[in-house]
Amino acid sequence: MDKIRKKVKSLLTEGKVAGYLGYILREGHPLPHLFTRDHLAELEQAVVPPGDARYPLDKILQALARRYPEDTFTIQVRGCDERGLNELYKWGQLDPDKVVLVGVACPQEQADYCECPGPYPSVVDYGEKCNPVPQSRRVARIDSLGQEAAFQEWLGHFARCVKCYGCRDVCPMCFCKECGLEHPELMSIGKVPPDTIFQLVRAIHMAGRCIDCGLCEEACPADIPLRVLYKKGNLLVKELFDYDTGSLGTGLSPWKSLGDEVTLETKPL
Amino acid sequence: MAEQEFQPKIIGFFCNWCTYAGADLAGVTRLQYPPNIRVIRVMCSGTVSPHHVLRAFQKGADGVLIGGCHIGDCHYLRGNYMTIKRMRFLQDLLKFTGFEADRLHLEWISAAEGPKLAQTVTAFTNKIKSMGPSPLKRLTAKAA
Ligand code: SF4
Ligand code: SF4
Ligand code: SF4
Ligand code: FES
Repeated sequence: MDKIRKKVKSLLTEGKVAGYLGYILREGHPLPHLFTRDHLAELEQAVVPPGDARYPLDKILQALARRYPEDTFTIQVRGCDERGLNELYKWGQLDPDKVVLVGVACPQEQADYCECPGPYPSVVDYGEKCNPVPQSRRVARIDSLGQEAAFQEWLGHFARCVKCYGCRDVCPMCFCKECGLEHPELMSIGKVPPDTIFQLVRAIHMAGRCIDCGLCEEACPADIPLRVLYKKGNLLVKELFDYDTGSLGTGLSPWKSLGDEVTLETKPL
Repeated sequence: MAEQEFQPKIIGFFCNWCTYAGADLAGVTRLQYPPNIRVIRVMCSGTVSPHHVLRAFQKGADGVLIGGCHIGDCHYLRGNYMTIKRMRFLQDLLKFTGFEADRLHLEWISAAEGPKLAQTVTAFTNKIKSMGPSPLKRLTAKAA
């Protein structure tokens, strides 16, 4: 933690950044906080929270960047947060020149729980790199179910949805000004549980955009395994379009441009 | 009482420049195809969002047929590049959730292909007939 404090302190005092978006310990709870040069003493309470106390810092950064478009900020990132930033740069939501990383590597326990393929960012200022988890057993289990069993299982999950929009509201990658989930002509209104297609619509929007942080699943009061759905969406995007969501390497998301060639064929009737 | 044959409800999203004109041609040349399809004319198959397809299923469609220009012939050059990306993705996602992905079909049909239009609509309608009513529809009916 001292390493982070030192790094942040010099960034702030040298005026390289306008603020550090990280976590502060308040009455025993880690909360997201913007540390600034005017309150350097607060850095004493700066923390790296445990995995189950994460907030969508990428989302807060977008709000900050909108409000202070000229300023550069430094932000605490885990592997998923950095994937999120990469994707947000590509979608034109953040400027990479105005972001400085403070990197945190997740412990193995967290990576196993997340089935995380990238449990550490490109810069590590805290923690030790652990082993990535390349395959998702949760996805594989659903894949191995028969069609009817999979259908019944998902229907059971979807039927519990209370339509709180928590999954969308917490998501660092949900930046649309208008949301299809609230489109009065495309989604029934005033109905709980919502239309059966509700989660599928969100899954479509998240494919090639979800950076698999798992915050939606943690926020969902109905314990719907949303992450499994979105993990699969990204696997399909990889399989069909060879796109790695959240990496800077593979060009733009397949939904962001029409593309220069067609590699897929229509399925036979 | 004799059991009535199941008459599926099929929604067609047909591109104005090709499949829709193909359907016109089929009509003019008096080619027969089943009347189960209700066609929505769109300016390019690339304007059809997966959300529109899902909405059709939610509202009780038993099948959805998308008709677009052949690759290379899209009036907007590459609109149909997006069509195939979206529909292939949607088919695979539907499969993962156990929804019968075969209920969604994409076919490239040009304005000159009246017979192909008639064949496709007939074959697709027969297929959906054999599959029976959409499970999503049964579900919605139960809730109502
Ligand atoms: S997804 Fe989980 S394990 Fe991976 S970086 Fe994020 S918190 Fe860490
Ligand atoms: S895991 Fe959930 S909250 Fe995180 S990016 Fe994906 S959809 Fe958004
Ligand atoms: S967080 Fe869960 S209950 Fe709330 S809208 Fe999303 S899926 Fe439904
Ligand atoms: S104009 Fe027909 S598919 Fe684009």
